[in-house]
Amino acid sequence: MKFTVLQAGRVLFWIHRKTKEGPAEQPCSARNSMRLVRFLAKRLMHAAFVLIGLSILIFLIARVMPGNPARMAMGPRAPQWAIEKLEKQMYLDRPLPIQYFYWFKSAISGDFGDSLVTKRSVSEDIIEYFPASLELAIYAAVFMGIAGVVLGTVSGWFANTWIDNLVRVIAYIGIVTPSFVFAIFFVLIFSYWLELFPTIGRLSSGIDGPPVITGMVTLDALITGNPAAFWDGLKHIFLPAVSLAMGPMAQEARITRSSLADNAGKDFIAAERACGIPERTIMFKYLLKPSLIPTISIYGLDFASLMGNAFLIELIFNWPGLSRYGMNAILQKDLNAVIAAIMVFGVVFVIVNIAIDLAVERLDPRIRFRTGG
Amino acid sequence: MKVLLKALGGIVVFTLAFSCIAQAADRPLRTTWAWPTYIDPAVGSDNSSTNALGNMYDTLVVPDKTGAPQPHLATSWNVSKDGKAWTFKLRRDVKFHNGDPLTSSDVKFSMDRMLTIGEGFAHLFSGKVDAVEAPDTSTVIFKLKDPFGPFLSTLFRLYVVNQKQVMANVITPGPYGDKGDFGKKWLVSHTAASGPYKLKEFKVEERLVMSLNTDYWQTLDPLVPDEYTMLGTTEAITVRTLMSRGELEVADRWQSNESLNALSRIKGVGLAKINGPGQFYAMIHTKKPPTDDIHFRKAMAYAMDYDTVTTHLFPGTTQAKGPIPRMMPGFDDSVFQYRRDLDKARAELEKSRYYSALDKNPVVIHWIAEVPDEEKVALLFMSNMAEIGINVDVVKVPWMSVVEETAAMDTSPHIVTIFDEAHYPEAAALLQSRYASPSANTWEQNEWLLDSTYDTMLEEALKTMDRESRFKQYAELQHYIVEQCPTLFMFDVMSRHAYRSDIMDWPAARGEVPPVQGYELLGRYIKIRK
Repeated sequence: MKFTVLQAGRVLFWIHRKTKEGPAEQPCSARNSMRLVRFLAKRLMHAAFVLIGLSILIFLIARVMPGNPARMAMGPRAPQWAIEKLEKQMYLDRPLPIQYFYWFKSAISGDFGDSLVTKRSVSEDIIEYFPASLELAIYAAVFMGIAGVVLGTVSGWFANTWIDNLVRVIAYIGIVTPSFVFAIFFVLIFSYWLELFPTIGRLSSGIDGPPVITGMVTLDALITGNPAAFWDGLKHIFLPAVSLAMGPMAQEARITRSSLADNAGKDFIAAERACGIPERTIMFKYLLKPSLIPTISIYGLDFASLMGNAFLIELIFNWPGLSRYGMNAILQKDLNAVIAAIMVFGVVFVIVNIAIDLAVERLDPRIRFRTGG
Repeated sequence: MKVLLKALGGIVVFTLAFSCIAQAADRPLRTTWAWPTYIDPAVGSDNSSTNALGNMYDTLVVPDKTGAPQPHLATSWNVSKDGKAWTFKLRRDVKFHNGDPLTSSDVKFSMDRMLTIGEGFAHLFSGKVDAVEAPDTSTVIFKLKDPFGPFLSTLFRLYVVNQKQVMANVITPGPYGDKGDFGKKWLVSHTAASGPYKLKEFKVEERLVMSLNTDYWQTLDPLVPDEYTMLGTTEAITVRTLMSRGELEVADRWQSNESLNALSRIKGVGLAKINGPGQFYAMIHTKKPPTDDIHFRKAMAYAMDYDTVTTHLFPGTTQAKGPIPRMMPGFDDSVFQYRRDLDKARAELEKSRYYSALDKNPVVIHWIAEVPDEEKVALLFMSNMAEIGINVDVVKVPWMSVVEETAAMDTSPHIVTIFDEAHYPEAAALLQSRYASPSANTWEQNEWLLDSTYDTMLEEALKTMDRESRFKQYAELQHYIVEQCPTLFMFDVMSRHAYRSDIMDWPAARGEVPPVQGYELLGRYIKIRK
């Protein structure tokens, strides 16, 4: 059953109406829930407008790029009649607003058209490639989160010592070095010289892949109880994920460290010290939590960026992800695929942004109170 | 600490338990390619697609080392006196991979499907084949609109699909009327083939794995690869790592000089130089000032430093001699070859009507942005022309824009540098696509020759059924073209591959390769010794 954008709009409207019609007096937990629903409804409505705007922008950009997509798709020696037939099929012979109308009409029912490069439906491509990129981004995010916060905390804990300086140097290197450079280094060291990790793909050719449930190999392997595929998938994803995470990880470390240093000088920490609370408790109970708020804000954005920025990593490791698919689509002027891939990344950004707002609100009571909670 | 040790122990046991599960093939052949690869015979026509198709599908005839057609699915054939009807007798013992027998109706279906879809190699048959008849299960007749001498050679590109299997997977409605989508969606990731390799796994953006068809109708050498993998990557570091780990047998043709040098230093890895059926051309616009002047063009042809191109920019290549590559059947060795001679260049330039106004007539050369090495050639050209007083503007242009701009005479640049290859092994393939008037609005002919004498000569040659007489006419055409000097014939295409020479017997590496794109890496001709 397809859940279309139209249906989603109806649900949002219903939520909006319900929240306005709410009872006059409610218990505190109910008030919190209603506030949350109102907040979500508002954000989702904003998101719908953002995504429609994005689709118009991308559609126009894709259409004005030089080159005839029909000729590109049919091959340079294709006869003119075949090219004209495809142009007609794709409404390329119609004005841009009409083209957009047809595209939007199909897109809201989940049909993004056919890819001119893979010759399959774009939806089919996305279903295949998106989980691969998502899996890569999740592993990278886990590494980025753990390593970034740990390094930042250590750096902040030992502020202005040689440990702090060392972590700062590492962080600077991480920030200024493009992820593909890390990828090349890691391949050279861990695949070429040490032969510890495989170089390409998601699974070795001799391994039977798990049946597709989520499309994420390691997760599907776990669900179906296939430890061989899980282990093999884990080995395949390790280097690309770490390469991808290095830059954002360094960023997280820097932000955590500077936030810790800022908060450490505040009065409430001095008061806690004066009360004789142990340093370890101050650090982990009172200092780290508020210091993580900027880290989490950036973490969310970094997570969404990981997927879009993974192009070169996916290329080097021959990882069949959406980022590489999207970039190839741009290079080959694969109109439908370009728009769909960018829309998917747009949706990921929107969802992650909402999730960050919710997380930050939970962590920071000031924001909660400001929004009436 | 104990918990940590237990966890580590667990990981070690887990690793040991599952690290040996991967079952490698006995004689794998793993190769890297520029992607995408299309395995639908009516769609694929690029290098990787023709390799995949050639491994999994059968054709009526196959080329020998010289490019001459030899029986394959067809046991014999004859052509009518007027050259318009070709009758083929088919083998009766051929079965598709699913067990269905291959019959003449499958051949008819394959041609009809290709012509209807209009993609891939359809241009070879479109406008030439009038009808296909299958009077009995082992006879197929192609009726042509006009006599076409090289028809047999074009049949190297007619891959026979299983009609029953394809039609069972048709999606209706589709763009092809009652045929729905003609099985296009299904054939993106499936095959309906009878060839020596079967499709085992196809990850559209990642890899294609084929396993040996043990029931193949033809006897294959016991040492042919039992599993053939095409990997969709050309990344230098990835290729080098795979090769050094023994996980790759043949590297793609797109590796740079530096990468090839590094690869060839790996133990057991050799370098194969394979001549291809194409050439690198600098196509000169013959209808746009100042390159519309033949003396101006000849001056450029004499001023160009071909030796630097073939020794430094594209090392190992050979300067081309006329418009046809040396390996192509129908090439004429007696054709004139321009060599760098600045005195002759200046003398020709003086005869040009633009000689007195060279400053006002700069030449614009476009090179393809996706092939960075072309820039070096364009810059060398600029430097060479400066020596005789011709001003050159070098412009980097994306491939798609070149396709667009060469579609009209006004927008075509003075010169564009392009690699072009023949799609069937006869000189006519290039003589037609490069210089005949109907191709003047395509990227294959920036020259805009539009020469009716040439067109008539070519038409006559194509109608000649006798191969030897036809080749003589090709020779005349080559002389005619060189005399017009519409092109700087840079070098014959040569692809270089790093390969595992210690375990592979690869005829193409010894120079034994049919002059047909995609035939150099067919598994059936390769032996793996382990």
